[in-house]
Amino acid sequence: MARWAMVIDLDKCTGCGACMAACKMENNVAIVKPDEAQNGRAMFWMDMITTYEGEYPNLEVKRMPRPCFHCDDPPCIKVCPVRATYINEEGLVGQIYKRCIGCRYCMAACPFTVKVFNWENPQWLDEASTCFNPDVSRRMVGVVEKCSFCAHRLMKVKEDAAQEKRNILDGEYVPACMESCPADAIYFGDIEDKQSVVYKLAHSYRAYRVMADLGVEPKVYYLSKRKA
Amino acid sequence: MPSRLIEQARRGPGIETWKNTICGLCSAGCGIRVRLVDGLPVYVKGNPMYPINQGGLCPLGLNALHHLYHPDRLKGPMKQVGKFGSGKWESITWDEALKTVSDALVKLRNEGNPHQVAFLGHDERGLMHRHIARFMQAYGSPNYFQFSPAQDDGVAYLLMQGDPQIPAYDVLNAKLIVSFGSNFLEEGHSPIYYTKLYGHHQDSQTRYVQIESRMSLTASNADRWVTIRPGAYGALALGIAYVLLREELYDTEFVNAHTFGFEDWTDRSGTKHLGFKSFVLGNYYPERVAELTGVPSATILELARELGNTRPALVIGGQGAVNNTNGTYSLMAVQSLNALLGNFERAGGLYSIDEPPFGALPVVQRDPTGEAGNGRASVARSQDGSFPLAPFSMKTLTKNILEDQPYPVGVLFLYGGNALFETVDHIDFAKVLQKIPLVVSFDSIRTETSEYAHLILPDHTFFETWDEVSNVPSVGFTHIGIQQPVVAPLFETRHTGDVLIDLAKRIGGSVAASFAFESYQEEMKQGMNGVYESGEGAILSASIKGKWLQYLQQRGWQIGRYSSFDEFWAQLLEHGGWWNPIRKQKPWEKVFHTPSGKFEFYSQRLKSTFDALVKTTGDQQSPQDLELVLSRLNISARGDTTFLPHHEPVPFEPDLPMHLVTFQPLAIRNGNGAHLPMMQEMFGYTVGRYWDSWVEIHPKTASDYGIADGQWIWLESSVASLRVRAKITPGILLNVVAVPFGLGHSSCGRYARGHGTNPYSIMRNTYDLLSGKPALEVTKVKISVAA
Amino acid sequence: MEIQDSRRPDRDELLYRPIYETGRGFYITAGMLLLVVLWAAYMYLNQVRSGLGVTGMNQPVTWGFYIVNFVFFIGISHAGTLISAILRLSKAEWRRPITRMAEVITAIVLAIGGLHPILDLGRPDRMVNIFLSGRLQSPLLWDVTSITAYFTASTVYLYVPMIPDIAKLRDRGGKFQWLYAFMAWGWEGTEHQKKVLNRAINILMVMVIPIAVSVHTVISYIFSMTLQPGWHSTIFGPYFVVGAIFSGIAALLIVMIAFRKFYHLEKYLHEIHFQYLSTLLLIMSIIWFYFTFSEYLTGVFGAEPHEMQIIMYKFKGPFAIFFWGMVACNFVIPVIILAFKRFKTIRGILVASCTVVIGMWLERLIIVVPSLANPRMDLPLGIYVPTVTEWALFAGGLAVFVLGYMVFSKFFPIISIWEIEEGRTEGLKEVEERIHSYLPAESASS
Ligand SMILES: Nc1nc2c(c(=O)[nH]1)N[C@H]1C(S)=C(S)[C@@H](COP(=O)(O)OP(=O)(O)OC[C@H]3O[C@@H](n4cnc5c(=O)[nH]c(N)nc54)[C@H](O)[C@@H]3O)O[C@H]1N2
Ligand SMILES: Nc1nc2c(c(=O)[nH]1)N[C@H]1C(S)=C(S)[C@@H](COP(=O)(O)OP(=O)(O)OC[C@H]3O[C@@H](n4cnc5c(=O)[nH]c(N)nc54)[C@H](O)[C@@H]3O)O[C@H]1N2
Ligand code: SF4
Ligand code: SF4
Ligand code: SF4
Ligand code: SF4
Ligand code: SF4
Ligand SMILES: [Mo]
Repeated sequence: MARWAMVIDLDKCTGCGACMAACKMENNVAIVKPDEAQNGRAMFWMDMITTYEGEYPNLEVKRMPRPCFHCDDPPCIKVCPVRATYINEEGLVGQIYKRCIGCRYCMAACPFTVKVFNWENPQWLDEASTCFNPDVSRRMVGVVEKCSFCAHRLMKVKEDAAQEKRNILDGEYVPACMESCPADAIYFGDIEDKQSVVYKLAHSYRAYRVMADLGVEPKVYYLSKRKA
Repeated sequence: MPSRLIEQARRGPGIETWKNTICGLCSAGCGIRVRLVDGLPVYVKGNPMYPINQGGLCPLGLNALHHLYHPDRLKGPMKQVGKFGSGKWESITWDEALKTVSDALVKLRNEGNPHQVAFLGHDERGLMHRHIARFMQAYGSPNYFQFSPAQDDGVAYLLMQGDPQIPAYDVLNAKLIVSFGSNFLEEGHSPIYYTKLYGHHQDSQTRYVQIESRMSLTASNADRWVTIRPGAYGALALGIAYVLLREELYDTEFVNAHTFGFEDWTDRSGTKHLGFKSFVLGNYYPERVAELTGVPSATILELARELGNTRPALVIGGQGAVNNTNGTYSLMAVQSLNALLGNFERAGGLYSIDEPPFGALPVVQRDPTGEAGNGRASVARSQDGSFPLAPFSMKTLTKNILEDQPYPVGVLFLYGGNALFETVDHIDFAKVLQKIPLVVSFDSIRTETSEYAHLILPDHTFFETWDEVSNVPSVGFTHIGIQQPVVAPLFETRHTGDVLIDLAKRIGGSVAASFAFESYQEEMKQGMNGVYESGEGAILSASIKGKWLQYLQQRGWQIGRYSSFDEFWAQLLEHGGWWNPIRKQKPWEKVFHTPSGKFEFYSQRLKSTFDALVKTTGDQQSPQDLELVLSRLNISARGDTTFLPHHEPVPFEPDLPMHLVTFQPLAIRNGNGAHLPMMQEMFGYTVGRYWDSWVEIHPKTASDYGIADGQWIWLESSVASLRVRAKITPGILLNVVAVPFGLGHSSCGRYARGHGTNPYSIMRNTYDLLSGKPALEVTKVKISVAA
Repeated sequence: MEIQDSRRPDRDELLYRPIYETGRGFYITAGMLLLVVLWAAYMYLNQVRSGLGVTGMNQPVTWGFYIVNFVFFIGISHAGTLISAILRLSKAEWRRPITRMAEVITAIVLAIGGLHPILDLGRPDRMVNIFLSGRLQSPLLWDVTSITAYFTASTVYLYVPMIPDIAKLRDRGGKFQWLYAFMAWGWEGTEHQKKVLNRAINILMVMVIPIAVSVHTVISYIFSMTLQPGWHSTIFGPYFVVGAIFSGIAALLIVMIAFRKFYHLEKYLHEIHFQYLSTLLLIMSIIWFYFTFSEYLTGVFGAEPHEMQIIMYKFKGPFAIFFWGMVACNFVIPVIILAFKRFKTIRGILVASCTVVIGMWLERLIIVVPSLANPRMDLPLGIYVPTVTEWALFAGGLAVFVLGYMVFSKFFPIISIWEIEEGRTEGLKEVEERIHSYLPAESASS
């Protein structure tokens, strides 16, 4: 069984934000009203975390794109009362929008604050209602959502592989954020497969995981000279 | 949104197709792949084959579909009714609209005043530029200008290299990149192109040094960030030059063989002239430069030594350096570093790019009226000798039109851009728009500028249009991107190229005769035919990188491998573009088009420009006197220094404490992303601000003024005041505040209107003395907590 | 067996009066409370229509007033049944006039508290999913279970001891005959019935205690089962239980003092009752402080950065006022009042009880919000400002409580009449015997 993991090379990443936009467009993520956004209700499945360290001339700014970490032992799913969030055998942590009762317990339980909630009826550009991605279901008010590792793309890849009677190739399953990253800073693949790029990178000396000590086993690895 | 499309989306069988085109939301020209389901665009991603962005995109490009489906797009021609600028519009038919325009054009022509028609373009290049130029020429007017052509940054290059083209930087092969205020990862001429290279460099260990007064995206990714006082770039560059000269770290071979005015010299008349070397050694010793720039002399030494001891080491000058009253001289100083390092026409250096071999068009037909009109002086030509080197200056244009100098303007076309939103002369320019009898805009979404038009003949968005995007400034190879309709026009919009042809036909005579082709698309094919026949370069293909490149290297650029033009054309559309990665080695005289045929530290062109001015200063007492000219351009330098790169003091207001610096975040750029809600939301993603502007302040400054993060404060300049929320960040100089540019719209659609603020409202309308480029960084402000 | 003549004036007539006489004051108060309830209902419907956007919650502060008040109300409800059970078990004779008031608190407030998680749901329409696809592994499910259990148990435990009194009301005739007749369950006061009743009460009171303890323990688990700093703590279970009993006693005292005043029950509720109960309150206050102290000491001493960030947020950050306010309300003020005879008057006790209730509400606030407002990731601090809707629903909750209690007192005696009588008769005898049984045996000398 494959275990899908992501590697983000912070030394390459410029913090351009393309991944954030790509994700929103690919996954039909809602745009909230201006004041809503100001009040901390903006929805980014891929968010950007900026931190400053030190002072000029040694000022270091760290920009860290942050999807859902698809933890192997995810605290979020443990608490869900209705199994509206779950982890599948390939390690993808998913949401069942139609079942979610909106208790937001999973949000409170996620150590990385990645989940977002539909506080109001999701609205998009008034008339852009035709440019939705038909592969991704749209959410309704009152449910939680988050990065899915573009699971819908995996389905497509599986279909292709099945038709051609072969295994999925390394680098064949490409999430939207990775696809349009202008710095090629995002890598994605099967971390069980010792030949895969992500396996190699995840075991490089620059690799680290956010709060690995929590033991929730995130499947998103970061590469950085500074951290290592 | 036409209901037929909504139906189509709902009922369709869900068949997926992909089409390649070029993103049109800024001038960086990234290749994109559009995903269509049942013929409707549903997603945009980078075209992996396209050499500029190789699959990467910026947030704005990724959001482009909302530009296509924007609810406030103009659905057909519009006529302004009621009070001007009142925003009262009614839609009219294309025929009515075109008739109104052609009638006006015919009338002027019959009265023998074709020159009274002006066309204010934007950043169009290549064939569209040629198309418009032809129209104006055939019609008989010298008044085709481009607001914000990237060339406006090119005067320094013109003076030293004899060519205003922005040089292409071979970033790929450089080992060290020192940027003087070029925020090339975030702004820059092609941010995604540079980001690609940056990502690549993290494997190949190239060092980046960013010299800037605020920590832009580029600075934050650079290995080293050096802060510098606004307006002091020239001084720093020369300070570095000083060390390179002192320590003999410069490329003597190149300097001796290919530069002019390095050593002291004597001209034919026998007068001695000061050379760059002794000038710098005499004036720009590190201690003094440290005084001027605020950069410690130790840092200056380090920078210089690192530059001198790394090969190849590249120096890039950008708007940070250019956008000031001394911009031209500053950029000259920066560029002279590239000369000292011998970077020209060399791997890891900089070079000029060949134009694509477009096919020529039949010559423009001429008639006496047209001839006469073309003969007239342009209305943008300065009457008093200011901005002697400006290709075009907004200030001069406004001034002249308001004074009917040398003649009134009857019709003004506005194509692209949003001049009113981003000139420091917005107040006067608004008057101009109100003065001209007929103002015609081609905007696809109404902008601040077109709010003042009488007529809007809306153009397609780039998703629905035919065009070509070639040779993006500063990109390292000749290339052509093909913009093709990925979807049939959603509304009653028309290609501006076709509109011009239609107008020409209506005018008739030689004007009509000048347009051999029925449509702009035909004309474009003609242009591409030339590329086909040249047999140069190659159509993009998956394999173009890697093996293919070597193949091209061996075979030179000769690779005609298409049986027919139609095959070439078909492939072009399929793959989205053509490029020629191989540069012809140029003889040096082709590199430097200067009088001396060399790189000129001492600019003879500048000298002759001033001499000409002295003779023909258009004022009554006509004093044959350089002094007067210089003082009128308030240039403080005298003698040979005037023609050498040097530091001109900037007329900052001493009584105001803080420098105002602007920058343009990726999401919204110059303001052309502001109409997209997702970009509004993302505008401040790096500082956690949404749909709003902010002002960056250093923590210490903030505490001095008792300002808390997120608090509303006033920025008060000598012009006006701006209310904006504070963002406290260590990434900025103590005496500098930075406001992002792009928000503060009063038009550009429902999502742009009323969000954030436009720093232009408080900027002084001061200009670069020579190039006429707005001095965007000359404004100083005082700050106070807002109640 | 002689039928009691309903017209003969009863010795405890006073306790029947509220049921038969209702003054204008009652209607006015009830009317106003009703308005509040309606307002809250309206706001809630509005919330259901337009989503939780109408609240002040956001990312990262995903929980607010609703969860705070959930924990708070359940806490208040906690004491009633538990105390009456403990007092009954320990045969404390002074319990007799108190037990029912306590039990009623539980029944009403538990219902209110239990509703709060539903107010908090983004999709109340999908509540059934909890039964269709519930996951017993989720602490939320544990709550659902134990709260329902506690609610059933305590309503039964309220009802059963009420049967003899209901029978009295039935026999007196007057309004709602049918209701009393039905609820009296054919009580005739026969020896056999008495035996059964007592057996039932005994079983119930033993059963109720562990359930009660479980309730607030699992509520604490909602928080402590997550990994969040400030929540992930083993002490939370007992800490919450103590807090619950603490606030419960305070609430009980307030209720007693109120009824004593409005229904003139001085004859039944003497100083001594308040002295005893408030001493209990004092003890709880000290225990509460002990728990709080150890909770924060371990945090501060370990000084784990994220933990520390939250503690500092409470000690001197934006939540300092609430934190130190809580300490004052839950410890300083009550201890000062209750430790000195001079202040330990009914009025003093009232003041102390009120501050404790407020203080315990603050504690819930301080537990829920800061941990959410200080994400582990380097994100900006979360800011939470409750909106009108949330305040309305809070007020509504309180109003329902008071109103419910008032209405109850109009149907049933709020002091168990038969237990008082029992006290006069068996009670005295029994206690005398008991005391004798404590004393050394008389030596059979001449
Ligand atoms: N995103 C985006 N990209 C663009 C454009 C855009 O509008 N938006 N415009 C295109 C065009 S037309 C051009 S000409 C190029 C220009 O692109 P660049 O040559 O990169 O110039 P800017 O992008 O203006 O970047 C100037 C930077 O210098 C800093 N700066 C400004 N003033 C001073 C100063 O006085 N001192 C110092 N030390 N630093 C200063 C600012 O922080 C700003 O980030 O960009 C092109 N690309
Ligand atoms: N503060 C500050 N100001 C600057 C600069 C700076 O660095 N700082 N840079 C200066 C420089 S170097 C330059 S070159 C200029 C650039 O100034 P401009 O070229 O005018 O700016 P752009 O962002 O290129 O164009 C902005 C307008 O184009 C419109 N637009 C976008 N897409 C389309 C389209 O498809 N069709 C039509 N008709 N219109 C469209 C948008 O509505 C937007 O309002 O800005 C100058 N202004
Ligand atoms: S797109 Fe790539 S470079 Fe840009 S922020 Fe995301 S990861 Fe970083
Ligand atoms: S990151 Fe958060 S949401 Fe994602 S799996 Fe881990 S715990 Fe769940
Ligand atoms: S919000 Fe939805 S997904 Fe999250 S815990 Fe509640 S029910 Fe489960
Ligand atoms: S993986 Fe897919 S869902 Fe997750 S952040 Fe990237 S684009 Fe968004
Ligand atoms: S930089 Fe962004 S906006 Fe400009 S062309 Fe490329 S993708 Fe389009
Ligand atoms: Mo520009």
